[in-house]
Amino acid sequence: MKWKNVVRLISVEIKSGRLIRGQRLRRYRESRGLQYLLYGGACVLGLAIGLAVGYFYNGASDPELKSLIYQGAYSLFPSLPTLILISSMVFTMMAQIQRAGVTFSIQPPYWLPITWMEHTLASTLAHLIGVPLVSIILVGSGIAAFSIFLGELPLATFTIFALLASAFLASTTTEIFRVLQARLTGAVYKASGKAAVWVRFIGSLLFLVAFYVVWFALTSGAGFVTLIEVVAGGQQAVWFIPYLWLGLTLASFMSGLLAQAVLFSLASLLFIFVLFYLAVRLNARFGLYEPPAITVSRGVYAPKVGLLGKLGFSSLEAAVIRKDFKAFTRRRELMYIFIMPLVFILMPLMQQLGVWGEPAATEPSHFLFAWILLGPGAIMAVMLGTMIIGEEGGAVWHFFSSPITARSFVKCKYAFIVLLSCIVTIVCGAIGIVISSPSPDIAIALLVESVLLIFALGAVSLGAGIKGADFTEVPRPRMVRPLTALVTMLLCLILASAIFSPLLLYAVTMGYIPIPISLPKIDLYVALSISAVMTAVIAFVSYRIALKNAKEFLVRAEI
Amino acid sequence: MASTSENAVELRRVAKRYADIVAVDYIDLDVKHGEIFGLLGPNASGKSTTLKIILGLVKPDSGSVKVLGINAEEDAVAVKRQVGYVPETPRLYEFLTGLEYLDFVGDIYAVEMSEKKMRIEEHLEALELEGREGDMIGSYSQGMKQKIALISAFLHKPKLLILDEPLSGLDPKSARIVKDLLRKLTTQSVTTIMSTHILEIAQAMCDRIAIMYEGRLLALGNMKELRKKARLPGSDLEEIFLKLTGTEDIKEVVEALLK
Repeated sequence: MKWKNVVRLISVEIKSGRLIRGQRLRRYRESRGLQYLLYGGACVLGLAIGLAVGYFYNGASDPELKSLIYQGAYSLFPSLPTLILISSMVFTMMAQIQRAGVTFSIQPPYWLPITWMEHTLASTLAHLIGVPLVSIILVGSGIAAFSIFLGELPLATFTIFALLASAFLASTTTEIFRVLQARLTGAVYKASGKAAVWVRFIGSLLFLVAFYVVWFALTSGAGFVTLIEVVAGGQQAVWFIPYLWLGLTLASFMSGLLAQAVLFSLASLLFIFVLFYLAVRLNARFGLYEPPAITVSRGVYAPKVGLLGKLGFSSLEAAVIRKDFKAFTRRRELMYIFIMPLVFILMPLMQQLGVWGEPAATEPSHFLFAWILLGPGAIMAVMLGTMIIGEEGGAVWHFFSSPITARSFVKCKYAFIVLLSCIVTIVCGAIGIVISSPSPDIAIALLVESVLLIFALGAVSLGAGIKGADFTEVPRPRMVRPLTALVTMLLCLILASAIFSPLLLYAVTMGYIPIPISLPKIDLYVALSISAVMTAVIAFVSYRIALKNAKEFLVRAEI
Repeated sequence: MASTSENAVELRRVAKRYADIVAVDYIDLDVKHGEIFGLLGPNASGKSTTLKIILGLVKPDSGSVKVLGINAEEDAVAVKRQVGYVPETPRLYEFLTGLEYLDFVGDIYAVEMSEKKMRIEEHLEALELEGREGDMIGSYSQGMKQKIALISAFLHKPKLLILDEPLSGLDPKSARIVKDLLRKLTTQSVTTIMSTHILEIAQAMCDRIAIMYEGRLLALGNMKELRKKARLPGSDLEEIFLKLTGTEDIKEVVEALLK
C-alpha cells in the first residue's frame, strides 16, 4: 500500500467540498488557514473547557463535590469511545445519505494505479473529516487538559487513542454498509421489476424516517443524557459486542485489570482489522457495481389526456405537473420533502405516547391535533415552493428552449405545490382525526385553515423560489440560494402567524389556550372568514410577484 | 446585409461578452431557408453562444436577431415553437424513461396525440431504441441519450433545427440515419444550423459553412468560396480551417511533444 496515494485521495475528497461551498470556479482561490480554522477552534475550545473544569475542580473546597467530579469523570472516560463510535456512525451515515443525492458521485478512479486497499482506507478516513474529527478534537483536548488536574494523563492519552480507533471503526462500518446497500438495492430493483420505483420510494422513506426519529430521540431533551447513562452503566453487561471493546479496554485499565485491558485492546485491533479487510474485499467485489436499469413501463405506448387535462390544464402545463410528480417520487434527493412532514408528525406523537420514557398524556392534545393538521401541509408548501424551480438543475434548458409562457410556467408549478400539499394535509388530517377524535367543527376549521395556509405560503415561496433558484448540481443539487431559503422561511412564518391569528384568538376565547386576561369572543366561522380574506390578499399579491419573477427568469435565461 | 424573407436566421451586429471575455464580437450572419449551415471554430470561439443567441437562450449585449421572420427578443416563445434544439451536452430528465421524456416533450410542443404516438414510435425504431424506451434515462449510455435528445428535437416538425454537436456519441448506423434525415428535411424547407468539430462531417453535409475564431466570423461560404478565401485550391475543410484559424503549426507541436 502506498501511503502517498492514500493522502492524495483524501486530499481529493476534501477538495470535493469546494463545489458544495459554492465558491467561484474561475480564478479559484482559497485560504489554507481557513480550512484548518474549524479544527484549531475545536482544539482551543476543548482546552478552554478542560482547563475551566480543572480549575473549578482544584478550587473546590468541598471534598464531597470534588469526589463527585472525580467519580463523574471516571465513569465518563470509558463511555467516551462508545459515544464517539455512535456519533461518528451517525454522521458518516448521514454523509452517505446525502451522497445518495449527489448527481456526480466521486467514483474510485479505477483506471489509475490505485489499489482497493488504498481507496478504502482513503474513503474511510475522508469520511471522518468534518463533524466526527471536530468532535474527537474537542473531546480529546478537553480531557487532556482536565486530566492534568486529575493526575490521569496516561489515562487521557489512552482515551484519545481509543476515540480515534472508535471513529475509524464507525467509518469502516459505514463503508461496509454503503457497499452492501448499493448491491442490495440493485438486487431489489432488479427483482421488483416495474414496481421498483415505488419500492425505492417507500423503502427510502421508511429508512430515512426511522433514521431521523432515532437521531432526534438521541439528540433532543433527555435522550442524550439517557444514552450516556445507558452506555456508562450497561457496556460491561454486553461485553461480547465487539464495538464496545474499546470502551471496555479503558474500563479494565482504570480498574487495574491490566491483563484484561491488554486482551480487550488486542481484540479491538483484531476486530478493526477484520472489518477493514471486509470493507476492502467488498469494495473490490462491488465497488464499481452499477445498479440495473429500472424498467418502468413495458408494452404498447398509449398517450392520453389524463385527469389534469380534464381539469383544464393545457397539454404543456399537464406535462410539467406530471414530470414534477415523477421527479419528487423518483429522485432520492427530492424524497426528503416527504420526510419532514412525517417526522413532524411522528415526533410529537411519540412524545404523546410516552415512547421516550416520558409519561404518556392521559387525554388527546388539541395542540397535537392542530399541529398534525396545519404543520405538514404548510411546511410542504413552503419547501416545495422554494425548491421546485431549482430542482430542475441542468435540465432547466428545457424551459428556456420550450415555448412556455410565464403564465403557464407559474400556473403549473403553483398547481403542483397546492395539489401535493393538499394531499399531504388530507392524509395527515385523517391520522390526526383517528388519534385525537376532535369535534367536527374544529376538524373542518383546521382543515380549511390548512388549505388556506397552503395557498398563501405556496404562492409566497414560489415567487421567492423563482428569484432565488440555484441550478448547481455538482456534486449535489442546491435548488435554492441559502439566503433566499432563510428569508422565505422567516417571511412565511410571519405570514402564517398572521393568517392563523383569528383562529388563535378563537382558541384563546374558547379556553383551549388559557391566558390570564379575558378577550371578546369570536365566532369560529368569522375567524375563518378573516383568515380566508387575508389568504386571498397574500396569495394574489404573491402570485403576481411570482409571475413578474417568471417573466424575468424566462427572458434572462442564460445557461 | 438587407433583411430578406429567404433567410431563416438573420443576425446583425450581434455581440456578447462574459465579464472580460468576448464570446461573440459584432457578427453579421444570414442562414437561408432549407440549407444545412455549419458553424465551425476551435474551442471557446463563440459557436455555442451564437447558437444560444439564435434560440433566445442568451440575450445579446447588442445587435438584432431575427429567426423565421420573428424578432427573437420581442416574441421568443413564437420562435421556440418552431425550433428544435439539441444542446452540446443535453441534460435530460434522468428520472423519466425515454418514452416518458418524449411524451413530455411532445406535450410541451402540443403535438397532437395520435401524431405524437406515431412519430415517437417511428423514431425509436429508426434509431434502434426499441426495447429500452421503458428504462429510466439515467441508465442510458451517452449515445442513447443523444438519440433521445435528437428525437425530441425532431418530434414537433420544427422549421429550424439548431444542433450543437448532433452526432456526438452516435453509432455509425444512427449517425448515417440522422445525416440522411437532415438532408431529406432540407427538401421540406427545414433549415439546420449545426456546430461540429468533425470537419469531414461538416464538409460532406453542409451547404455553407461559417468559421468562427475568438468571437469573430473569419470566413463564410460554400467549400468553393472557402478555398478561395484561404487561397488553397483543391484542399479539404481541415486544411482550410487550420490555415484560417492560424493553427496550422501542427508539425512543430507534435515534434515538440515527441522530444
